[in-house]
Amino acid sequence: MLKSWKLKEIVLMSLFSVVFGIVYLLFVHVGNIWSGFIGPIAYEWIFGIWFIVSIICMYIIRKPGAAVVSETIAAAIEVLLGNAVGPRLILSGLVQGLGAEAVFAATRYKRFDLWVLMLAGVGSSVFSFVYGYFLGGFSVYSTGYVALMLGIRIASGAMIAGVGGKAVADGLLATGSLRGYAISRSKKGEARA
Amino acid sequence: MKHALHKMNPSVKFLAITVCMFTMAFFFDPWTPFVFWIAVLVLQVFLSQINWKKWLLFMLPFFVTAFGYFWTTLVFAEEQSGPVVWSIWNMHITEVQLNHALSLSFRVLAFSSLSLLFAFTTNPVTFILSLMQQLKLSPKIAYGVMVGYQFLPVLKDEFVQIQQAHRLRGAAQEKNALQRLLGIRRILIPMLAGAVRKAERAAFAMEARGFTGERRSSYFQVISIGKVDVVLVVLFLIVLVLSCTNGLWLS
Repeated sequence: MLKSWKLKEIVLMSLFSVVFGIVYLLFVHVGNIWSGFIGPIAYEWIFGIWFIVSIICMYIIRKPGAAVVSETIAAAIEVLLGNAVGPRLILSGLVQGLGAEAVFAATRYKRFDLWVLMLAGVGSSVFSFVYGYFLGGFSVYSTGYVALMLGIRIASGAMIAGVGGKAVADGLLATGSLRGYAISRSKKGEARA
Repeated sequence: MKHALHKMNPSVKFLAITVCMFTMAFFFDPWTPFVFWIAVLVLQVFLSQINWKKWLLFMLPFFVTAFGYFWTTLVFAEEQSGPVVWSIWNMHITEVQLNHALSLSFRVLAFSSLSLLFAFTTNPVTFILSLMQQLKLSPKIAYGVMVGYQFLPVLKDEFVQIQQAHRLRGAAQEKNALQRLLGIRRILIPMLAGAVRKAERAAFAMEARGFTGERRSSYFQVISIGKVDVVLVVLFLIVLVLSCTNGLWLS
């Protein structure tokens, strides 16, 4: 799988992860303290921000594995930056990446429109929720509460990761810096300045 | 003795911690995670040298999180059987509920202490090198990650610069969370564009110096597995078994 990958694509994913690592710090400021008091549901509505790297990277690079590798790298970088959640973050990154990857694999890596990206966000949400359900011991909560958590997370995955990820990547494409990547090649027909 | 955890092979430490966490996820009584949490603290006290003030600072948010889990479990519990042990207004908390709530809170504390144990005793670069040498991570990814890690200070400066540039041109800082969420795009896109250029430059530089991404037969910095690792893994397993069988020796 990695044979077809160029080094610049891997370094790109790694640098994107660092950028988002810094952005995540902002979000920690936005809602860290109150989230503690509200309990595990508090982080659900911004959960999508953690899937955004895999969706942006897949949308730009368009190679099998881009979602899972980028999300795992992002998690590893966060661990390197000294995130207190520690090494288990790498596993959750892997699980989230697999969720998005499954959706892209189902389209055989051919479709990258908004709907597929939103579905990929949903895929990450579902996979990460199953993982969190097991490790966080959500099985002691009532079914309604668990369903509410899952619902918010799916909405967040679709909106923040899917719609937001596409918006960011399209904005980046417009700057012209992505000329060497698959995302630009697909639009060859259009005239770009 | 005091440096054992610092000297432990990072990959082995990573695997040991992962095994411990997944085992803990099967327990829903308060004692197992509690005993495990205490045991992890004991391990850290005796086998590592860390800044405990800093540790406490990192641990504080997790105490808050543990409290969040505690009351959420009390209010939204699935099982409400067993004798009532506690009544506030018209809420009756049963023994089963209380046990589950305590268990989940202690689980949060146990997991965070484990994570901090790793974070405080592991050098990030050694961890990546060890993943490559022991766990056969592809060198392409390993060195790619390290390039990103080295760029962190540069990107941090750039982040501040972009913010300052916005302020200089009179862009107001958003007050509420939703506006901030949407406003982040203005900072994100220039940063990502810069990241793309830096990534290309770094990758070309690496390839120009002969980096192919092939696996090597020898490394400049060798990370090995030694006696310390065997002893520490055994210690971790003893802690795990002791806390899982707490019913046998605690009562």
